Amino acid sequence: MNTIAEPVHATPLNSTDPAVPARRRPRQRPEAFTIASYVGVVAFGLICLIPFWMVIAGSLTDESVLAQRGYSFWPSPFSLDAYQTIFAGSRVWLSYGATLFITVVGTTIAVASTSGIAWVIARGLPWVSRPLAVFAYIPMLFTGGLVPMYILITQILQLRDSWFAVILPLVIAPFLVFVQVSFFRGTPPEILDAARIDGAGELRTFFHVVLPLSKPVIAVVALFYAVTFWNEWFHALLFISDPNKYPLQLVLQNLITSVANAADLGTTISAPVYQMRLAMTVITIGPILAAYPFAQRYFVKGLTLGASKG
Amino acid sequence: MSTDLKAATESAPAAPRGIRQKRDYGLVILAAPAVILLLVFAYGPMAGLVVAFQDFNVADGVFGSPWAGLENFEFFFTSGNASRILWNTLFLNILFLAATLGAGVLLALMLNEIRGRVTKRFWQSVIFVPYFVSPIVVSIFLQAFLAGPGGRGGLVNDFFNVLSLPELSWYTDPGPWPWILTVVKVWHLGGYMSVIFLAAITAVPEEVYEAGVIDGASRAQMAFRITVPLLKPTAAILLVLGIGRIFYGDFATIYAIVGDNGTLFETTDVIDTYVFRALRTQGDFGTTAAIGLFQSVVGFVLVVIATLVQRKYARETAIL
Repeated sequence: MNTIAEPVHATPLNSTDPAVPARRRPRQRPEAFTIASYVGVVAFGLICLIPFWMVIAGSLTDESVLAQRGYSFWPSPFSLDAYQTIFAGSRVWLSYGATLFITVVGTTIAVASTSGIAWVIARGLPWVSRPLAVFAYIPMLFTGGLVPMYILITQILQLRDSWFAVILPLVIAPFLVFVQVSFFRGTPPEILDAARIDGAGELRTFFHVVLPLSKPVIAVVALFYAVTFWNEWFHALLFISDPNKYPLQLVLQNLITSVANAADLGTTISAPVYQMRLAMTVITIGPILAAYPFAQRYFVKGLTLGASKG
Repeated sequence: MSTDLKAATESAPAAPRGIRQKRDYGLVILAAPAVILLLVFAYGPMAGLVVAFQDFNVADGVFGSPWAGLENFEFFFTSGNASRILWNTLFLNILFLAATLGAGVLLALMLNEIRGRVTKRFWQSVIFVPYFVSPIVVSIFLQAFLAGPGGRGGLVNDFFNVLSLPELSWYTDPGPWPWILTVVKVWHLGGYMSVIFLAAITAVPEEVYEAGVIDGASRAQMAFRITVPLLKPTAAILLVLGIGRIFYGDFATIYAIVGDNGTLFETTDVIDTYVFRALRTQGDFGTTAAIGLFQSVVGFVLVVIATLVQRKYARETAIL
């Protein structure tokens, strides 16, 4: 297994010769596995990025050339037709508004309610915290499914065509509840005792002591929720039928399923349909990609917290 | 300070009682929004599954529709679609689970080989990017590769042309779709999974690897004989959660990509997409709820079994 990597000291695994490890230490050539790993990571990384580039390049390529020659790595002739057509219409602004509303209001409600229940679970109160944890965990395993949710939203709550039909079913993600619980458990008990002795009640302790100490985890949880809401389309597909209330993802989905819908975005039938689909994709992922460099480390942190709870 | 604390608690025996009452009230306020939301939007629909046993109609609603016994279940399981859809659901989910977990572990091992914190973090960020896009966007990306503009064949067929292989009409041939969807899942979630596993690797104490170095183990041996076994608990948790959802199709990904393209249903139609279509086109609430109940019960039983089995082998990693 290691003969390729170390032709000089191909020692058996259980070698007891003390000189071998000493000689292996300083500045050895990288082993085959390390080289393969670099190649593998770079290759997978490129595969992750290439589709983004193809779609961005495609969205800037003139429709007729796109149809003739297919995708190319460099947009030529360069064309902003698709973006001009899209931004000239009102639909894109309406759907941006819808997505922003769903993302901002959804994330706010989600973070507030998730932090609240997570703190009560993390407090470790007998007869309260454990049952509450189970209560929050069960929906991860057992759901009512599509039909009861549909009846609930459309018949009982009458939320059809309301953005809250998209927001409310998603505001508590059990996984994120537990990410927050594991962070809250690390709150130093001395600080809580100090707050209690100073006469702070539970609410004051939570808002003035616990939350300010928990900014990192709140950032993580908020980002996870924000991405969920930004990318949401399933509930919108089910419950929003007024095209003026479509979020971005639903507009995009309609562009896939029916090319005719592209006419909705612009004004003319002769609009650059295919190029517009790609441009709409770029418009939809743009804000998330722009925020990515800042948000990425929080995601990693959040997943790390989630993983360490096991 | 500790004497102050003692003095405060000892000198005022009546105080804790008063504080406790106030404290409980505050905690109720904190927990209430989530509890109410979960009750309505998670537990409410569970109760709504009674629809599965009803001949549901909108006019009479959940509380007034006549009972139908097990008719709804019979209708689905004798419809001829059931076996194909159940098979697709199971097969695709097992493929997705195995592929994303495998890719996650492999990517984490490879990332772990990269020296230099900045370089490592850079590549980790790169492979994490796909997680941020929605299934709809993934579907558009896939079209760029499999079906180009203006009836062209897309990038894969362009590549086939270069190799003078025959072009394939991807969107009309159901055969390769389980594998195409698996590749898509690995692209979408591979980076996400690798971050979870990389976190577990970081938690491994350095001495373990030092022992490996002293024994003369190669990097590959350390990765596969030391790191991989230590990743088992993390993999087990993800596996149990995945198994619980094994009867749920991956609706978002599959519907975004396949949509209403009937020629691909043979290999891609799963329970969730079938239910969704049945509800939209026929408005058949009873049967679709029956299928939903079936999914939930089987999923729940599977999770309980998986958790028990896992608990037997590795007590400390069991979830419940």
